[in-house]
Amino acid sequence: MKDNILDIQNLNIRFSTFDGLFTAVNDVSFSLGYDESIGIIGESGCGKSTLSYSVMKYLPSNAQVDGKVIFKGDDLLQKSDKEMEAVRGNRIAMVFQNPYSSLNPAHTIGFQLDEVGIHHQKLSKADARKASLEALELMNLGDVKAIVNRYPHQISGGIQQRVCIAMALLCKPDLMILDEPTTALDVTTEAVILDSIKALRDKLHMSLIYISHDMGVINKVAEQIIVMYNGEIVEKGPKQEIFNHPTHPYTRALINCMPRKGVVKENTKLNSIKGYVKKRGASEKGCPFADRCEKKNDTCEQLYRMREVGPDHIAACDRAYATDIPDKVVKPVKKVKKTVEEVQDEEKEIISLDSLTKVYGTRKKVYAVNGIDVSVQSGSVLGIVGESGCGKSTTGHMVSGLYKPTAGKIIFNGKDISLTWKKRDKETLKDIQLIFQNPGRSLNPSHTVQQIIDRPMKKLGMESDKNKRKKIIIDMLKKVDLGKEYLTKKPRQLSGGEQQRVAIARALTIHPQLVVCDEPTSALDVSVQASVLNLLNELQIESHAAYMFISHDLNVINYLSDNIMVMYAGKIAEYGTRDEVMAPPYHPYTEALLSAVPEVDPTKRNVAIELEGNLPNPSKKITGCPFAGRCHKQVGPICEQQAPPLVQVSPTHYYYCHISAMDV
Amino acid sequence: MNNFIQIIIRKVGSLLATLLVMSFIIFMLVEIMPGDVAQMILGQSATEESVAALRESRGLNDPVLVRYGRWVVNVIQGDLGESIYMQGVTINSILWRRVGHSLILAFAAFILFVPLSIFFGVLAGVKEKTVTDSIISFFGLATMALPEFVSGVFLISIFAVQMKVFPIVSVIPIGESLFENLDIVILPALSITFVMFGYISRMQRSSMIIVMNSDYIRAATLKGMPRRYVIFRHALKNALLPTITIIGMNMGWLFGGLIVVETLFGFPGMGSLLMTAIKTRDVPLIEACVLLITVIYSVSTMITDLLYSYLNPRVRFAGGQR
Repeated sequence: MKDNILDIQNLNIRFSTFDGLFTAVNDVSFSLGYDESIGIIGESGCGKSTLSYSVMKYLPSNAQVDGKVIFKGDDLLQKSDKEMEAVRGNRIAMVFQNPYSSLNPAHTIGFQLDEVGIHHQKLSKADARKASLEALELMNLGDVKAIVNRYPHQISGGIQQRVCIAMALLCKPDLMILDEPTTALDVTTEAVILDSIKALRDKLHMSLIYISHDMGVINKVAEQIIVMYNGEIVEKGPKQEIFNHPTHPYTRALINCMPRKGVVKENTKLNSIKGYVKKRGASEKGCPFADRCEKKNDTCEQLYRMREVGPDHIAACDRAYATDIPDKVVKPVKKVKKTVEEVQDEEKEIISLDSLTKVYGTRKKVYAVNGIDVSVQSGSVLGIVGESGCGKSTTGHMVSGLYKPTAGKIIFNGKDISLTWKKRDKETLKDIQLIFQNPGRSLNPSHTVQQIIDRPMKKLGMESDKNKRKKIIIDMLKKVDLGKEYLTKKPRQLSGGEQQRVAIARALTIHPQLVVCDEPTSALDVSVQASVLNLLNELQIESHAAYMFISHDLNVINYLSDNIMVMYAGKIAEYGTRDEVMAPPYHPYTEALLSAVPEVDPTKRNVAIELEGNLPNPSKKITGCPFAGRCHKQVGPICEQQAPPLVQVSPTHYYYCHISAMDV
Repeated sequence: MNNFIQIIIRKVGSLLATLLVMSFIIFMLVEIMPGDVAQMILGQSATEESVAALRESRGLNDPVLVRYGRWVVNVIQGDLGESIYMQGVTINSILWRRVGHSLILAFAAFILFVPLSIFFGVLAGVKEKTVTDSIISFFGLATMALPEFVSGVFLISIFAVQMKVFPIVSVIPIGESLFENLDIVILPALSITFVMFGYISRMQRSSMIIVMNSDYIRAATLKGMPRRYVIFRHALKNALLPTITIIGMNMGWLFGGLIVVETLFGFPGMGSLLMTAIKTRDVPLIEACVLLITVIYSVSTMITDLLYSYLNPRVRFAGGQR
């Protein structure tokens, strides 16, 4: 016992609300040794964050807590708020999901760092500043003296998060809790931060609790893994054990629902978990996962208990490989054989962008999209990928008519539609539909599901008869796995996944030829993401619509796309079919992006190519390669001075780089 | 800092433009008011000829725009014209004394209600959903629901009639100045405070609650900062921003509201002067008073904007590095 830094014993947290008592954390016990790192994984609503806040004794007033949280021999739950002040930020430090909102907008970075030293270590102002600068330097932040005088909104998200980590490091804490610290960031930034966390652990020997919903991230930073579902630990063990023999059906489902390397739509249907995390009443007993479990049988209620399934490996259930109920066979949806006409149809270019450009601002010009040439075949999926700020959303918005292009053309079915939506004809409006990232905000909160889906049909003159429209809506809802009862519901009564299904239904009921999907799964949980991706794939095959699928997640793009366009700083870096882009030869940027994706399989290790710095300032005219400043394969001054030439690898595959295909 | 000077120059420019537009609107509004100025000066018994002669000599027959131009030029030179009702008296000689009184009254009210309502608003926000919060919120609502003439009457009957601490009416004896009679300011100032308190403290409370629930307050608390420090150093600066806007916008409204309070207490300020001017159709005096209220309104809004951008680095460094 003595050699553990943290011992949580039989911790229960319940919230009393108007609807009764709900369980947030149920009978959780685990311990964390010195210099050990533990990863907690689970969907949102599984009590991961509540658990970590209870270690800080920071819970809302309607929480009822019992159990013990023993930190270095003291039960933290018995301490007063005053006593906790000496622990928080000093012995236990925390880093949060959203760095932007976690920094006070009204104070400089320096002020917010210094106060930690001033309060906990009673340093003078000058000494505190010195300590702050040292901590920032530990995070490899370049010109630290300039950063301390900035305000949070003046630095990028990646630097903000590194500032937050530096802040947590100031007092050399014994334990650091990281609550989804990279979820809101780009993959490339995520890779940099994960690496610096690793380096810090080697240097400072602190214990770590890392909370995430992403198996790949957990794989990178943790040695022990705890899988939580609905407030309970369902499986716990060393990383290798969990990945190699996931014993609880939930763990197995979580791993299988992640789109990952080598998993593409033709050969695999993603494994989704039906339903969603339900609020659990305080008196409910039995397995919390039972209602969503595919391996459920009659003994689930009675036989539910923790058992040892391997060395240091415990699980609440070992039915993951049970054979009495066979695995649900998920077959990928195959494209139906097409008639000759349809094959000809397939060849057709449905939309082509001709040196499309968007410049924001008049005095200070910002080149958001800078001369894009690309086309989409009917019935195919074009994936657009790149870091935030690379112009992928702007491209999507121009295609759907939300913005008017500054220069260049959008040719849709032979017609020039480089106009805003107001000036487009009804036919075009109907044929190009848009699905947004955040369904909660893109659905009108005061309309019912029926009204939401009905409106484009009515406005774009698809069907004048109200009853027929209602029938179409019900059919469509069935296709997106929603029942008739959803007709009268309003968006806020739906979960995030259901909202996105409604948004998809709205976009597809009027049979568009092209659907622009702008990060449709980024705001969703992994299990929900899997089901939405499956749905998008099925509907695409069925409706023969073309997709323009925008995402920052290479795994998702890889899963769904036929062709991939990699964008950087408003320009195309690489374009080709999926298999061509995903395999060498790469553009150096594609290579860096691919290497930054955390590997889910622990047996494989990839070393991320760290991309330092930011996207080039979009208001400056770039003469050379836009990626030159961050490129790990720079060949010389030519990169900065001359625009990279087009390298044609195959008829369908090209990229822009000074390095030829042979040398890459 | 260059940036800041630029902001000030732009603000002053738009202030002047606002005033020019407003002066035109004021002039036109008074223009369409019924009644003939010359007739009013000479009285009902004047002959047609004398009225016509006066119109000619005063330039009242000139086109509207010419008269407007003349008025604007005069105002810019500091000449507000002569009062019609009090003949031969220049507006400058009566208006500024009254404005001074009103400013003192407004200032007295300001130093009463701003700290009071901010303090209690913050207190209620920090102690959300406790007894303290309920009491403050109830008191705020009650005073907000009472119009100033009602609360004024209450105050008079309690403090002036019952307790006899303050005078019932706020008149300055002839030959004395306001500074020798400062006690007459207190009751009107209190009744203004009553109206403003409920409004501002509610705003302060809700912005405090939003800030206290924000991520950066959580982060500061979990950094181990003491609660008082979190409230005063982290929360207050952010929570004051919306309140400052509200207070600034209400400064103009306060001056309009003075009319009621000053009339009720007979306080010799600009509000009661404007009231008299309207009653007696004293056109130049109305124009001067309304223009002055516009100036005060615009200037206080401008100061609010500047203060806001000073306190909020996101506005101060707008367009800075992303």
